[in-house]
Amino acid sequence: MKTEIIENGNQIIAKFAGRLDTPASVQTAEEVKPLLEAANKEIILDCTELEYISSSGLRIFLSVRKEAATHGSKVIVRNINADIRQVFMMTGFVSLFEIQ
Amino acid sequence: MDLHSEMIMTEYEAQLPVYQRLEGIVQRTLEQALARNNILVTAVSTRIKTAESLAGKLALKGSKYQSISDLTDILGARVITFYTDDVDHIAALAEQMFEIDWENSVDKRALHQIDSFGYNSLHYICRLPKSIVDDPDCPALNEIRFELQLRTTLQHAWASINHDIGYKTGVEIPRDYLRRINRLAGILEMADDEFSRIRTEITDYRRRVQQLVQNGKLDDVQLDGDTFTSYLQARPFDALNKRIASINQAEIEEVPLIRYLRVFKEYGCKTLGDVHRMKLKYENDAYRLARYQLGNTDLDIISSAVGVQNICIICILATGGGKMGLIRLFDLINGHNNQNEALADITYEQASKLQVEN
Repeated sequence: MKTEIIENGNQIIAKFAGRLDTPASVQTAEEVKPLLEAANKEIILDCTELEYISSSGLRIFLSVRKEAATHGSKVIVRNINADIRQVFMMTGFVSLFEIQ
Repeated sequence: MDLHSEMIMTEYEAQLPVYQRLEGIVQRTLEQALARNNILVTAVSTRIKTAESLAGKLALKGSKYQSISDLTDILGARVITFYTDDVDHIAALAEQMFEIDWENSVDKRALHQIDSFGYNSLHYICRLPKSIVDDPDCPALNEIRFELQLRTTLQHAWASINHDIGYKTGVEIPRDYLRRINRLAGILEMADDEFSRIRTEITDYRRRVQQLVQNGKLDDVQLDGDTFTSYLQARPFDALNKRIASINQAEIEEVPLIRYLRVFKEYGCKTLGDVHRMKLKYENDAYRLARYQLGNTDLDIISSAVGVQNICIICILATGGGKMGLIRLFDLINGHNNQNEALADITYEQASKLQVEN
């Protein structure tokens, strides 16, 4: 599992690649900390190369979303695959994120 | 400047640090009291009269004052409220918190004749009691008087503009202009009263709606933002969410459900009764859909929107809305985007494997 953080003007982008399962989530939670510190910017969670997300991964996305909400900024989840899309829908989180 | 005025200016310079300390305490005390009582205001501000301003005042009427302690407006505090009712509410708080010098306090609102309009504000001359500050090294903190002005935003706007027009040029303003300015004060007084009345009526309306929701008389309540919020406060989807959570012993993450107001309206719900009947009719199938979707996963977190979302999905499919109906649902709750079609495809495929009752 790889996480890359890219700052781009008023946006901060996290690019995820691999499987965001429970073992990987501990490290990923550390790696997304720059997003929490820059939560006043528009946050993009780029899931183009993300293959799988578990409940632990969802919790990381939620923590980013909560921090952004306290700063009045938004979180965009971009390019999720069909399986991850299904996870968002089944758990009812589809209305919480802007999914593009 | 005469000798007497110079003496008062010297006292002012010497006491300035005490006034500055007093200013901080007064500002803090007011802000904390407003927060404790949930009163939202436009502004709380304080200021210390500048040396230039004091010198100007002494030049005009210096003989009126024996010493600096006779000047009650060296420190001024001002609270600007949204509503006239709040002026009285804050006045009551000030009476509890501060020692009021009633002889020198004035309610400008009560000074007007029935046929006159103009400056409206409540001025209290106050001292800090020892319950707020007690410093044996600085007893002046309890002795110095300060002026507290309470007024509404509209009263403040009128007073500021009136001051700007009346005092800026130093030229006497013709009677006709003054009359027009005062006529405006009358209009603003009416507007202030109307804002207060509207607030009271909205509060009453919300209370009545909450009562109807509590008593289950949902058919009497029109569906709108306020009433749907009251309905959600009764947590109508909790039982379904808990049933769904029990599938995987999941935790439920609270999320806002207000977006579903548009969905229910689009499905023709006119009253909370319509919403409630839809919930009762489809909640069983909504649970079956969740069980089908989540049963083969280890997802142990769901959002509090999952119950109402599944109710809407089932309603669409049961009433023949098909894939297009699901796309519209996701457009409403997720905003229009290309991903919604794919979401609708997945949902349609899964739900079609259930036998949904109409």
